[in-house]
Amino acid sequence: MYLFIEQSLNGLAVGSIYALITLGLALVYGILGVLHVAHAGIYTVGAYIGYGVYACTGSLVMAILVGMVACSCLGVLIERFIYFPLLKFPPYVPLISSIALFMGMEEFCRLVAGPSVRTFSLELPFPELKFLDIVISPTLTGIFAISATIFLVLWFITTKTELGLAMRATSQDMDIASSVGIDGHRIIDIIFILGSAIAAVAGILVGIYYNEVYPAMGTVPAYKSLALIVVGGLGSVQGAVIAALLLGIAETLLIGYANIPLPRDALAFIAMIAVLLWRPQGLFGKGA
Amino acid sequence: MLLQVNDLNISYKEVRAVHGVSFSIEEGELVSIIGANGAGKTSILNALIGLVPCGRQSSIFFSGKDITSLPSHERARKGIRIVPERARVFPRLTVYENLLTGIYGLRAKVDLKERLEWLYGFFPVLEERREQYSHTLSGGEQQQLAIARALISEPKVLLVDEISMGLMPLLVEKVFEILGDLNRKFGITILIVEQNALASLRISNRAYVLEAGRIVMKGNASMLIQDKRIREAYLGI
Repeated sequence: MYLFIEQSLNGLAVGSIYALITLGLALVYGILGVLHVAHAGIYTVGAYIGYGVYACTGSLVMAILVGMVACSCLGVLIERFIYFPLLKFPPYVPLISSIALFMGMEEFCRLVAGPSVRTFSLELPFPELKFLDIVISPTLTGIFAISATIFLVLWFITTKTELGLAMRATSQDMDIASSVGIDGHRIIDIIFILGSAIAAVAGILVGIYYNEVYPAMGTVPAYKSLALIVVGGLGSVQGAVIAALLLGIAETLLIGYANIPLPRDALAFIAMIAVLLWRPQGLFGKGA
Repeated sequence: MLLQVNDLNISYKEVRAVHGVSFSIEEGELVSIIGANGAGKTSILNALIGLVPCGRQSSIFFSGKDITSLPSHERARKGIRIVPERARVFPRLTVYENLLTGIYGLRAKVDLKERLEWLYGFFPVLEERREQYSHTLSGGEQQQLAIARALISEPKVLLVDEISMGLMPLLVEKVFEILGDLNRKFGITILIVEQNALASLRISNRAYVLEAGRIVMKGNASMLIQDKRIREAYLGI
């Protein structure tokens, strides 16, 4: 029982991180219809920037802030200079450019920081929690607290503010949204800023949780998060978040606890295939 | 002159949809552009709200200012609002949220409570279905929502695109009655583009007849409704 709970909590942490990565992808797909594979590149760059700033300044807060700002700028640049000019072409054109961009960003990290694995080797500065016999490490507490805060803030923005209303309107009908006075370009910028800043946080959290930052760290998340937005229902942000949390828990429990002899990363794709076969609109999609 | 359109040309790739159309609307008028399917009516409205680029010589003036190169959302800020063809409400926003999109960026300027009361007076169903997602509304209810979404911002000119399309005849009559009232009782300037010539001519001051992207006739609505060619071509009489 003790192991089960501990593994569930680990799974929830992994799922939270998946959700943070997938959020940006779901937001971008919702508004532009582009499969933003390069999002995982932003996540890798964010991890490296966070690592670099932390190594120089020793301040984790600084590392996260600089990572968020830098990744936001990077995201907006990608949107303005790569996706936007390509939107008039069929969807596979921005997709191919996004994959190319992702590979380029990986190689760029390898060139700048070298191929070796960098380690953060620190714990998140959060308290250790104890319930009966169960101990939640500071890093785990930190991951829960940070991701819960991000989910709450994002939920508040999208459902309770005028900006969120404009974001939802734009993602449903960009032309009509602009005809009621919503500047679609600005909304798209904001979405890339939010998504990329969150990706940076995810990169840094992964770097700390697994204690490794390396050039190819974005590869598996890139494809896994694609599978997740399909499972969650393309364009559904809540669906993607819930799918990500479930996947994290399922991966950890089935492979780590129940010892099912499968490669851990296969699970996301099995889920995607199952969803495509039986429920193509996704678990939380709105009709086919 | 509130709205002045000069030599409007619209092309889609190689195909030209609108050929050198000029027209104007005075403040307080209700003007119709009538024409068959494919005559270019919707293209003209889309050019007015900035969703379709117009040709080089074309110019659009609104309240004396050249707005030809202004992006769509800035034209909306200036008070040009549209009731789009097939309503195009935001399907996954509630009725109330759809209304709020109409005053995006204007919440400080508009007395929301008073505007809502006024609109609910015209369209009581929107108050009843306030919290419902708009894709669950019927076609007629969606049209009412689209009108309300455009009106809530107190527009200077209301553009109405093929509102009769897909509505039951009884509803068509009611919607045109409301548009007529909005113009006469509340002084709202309205430009209607319609296939349903009779219904729109009845409530209009003036009208233009559009055929294959060109204006072939214009005049007072009361005069056009008597015109033999119009009666044969559009009224089926």
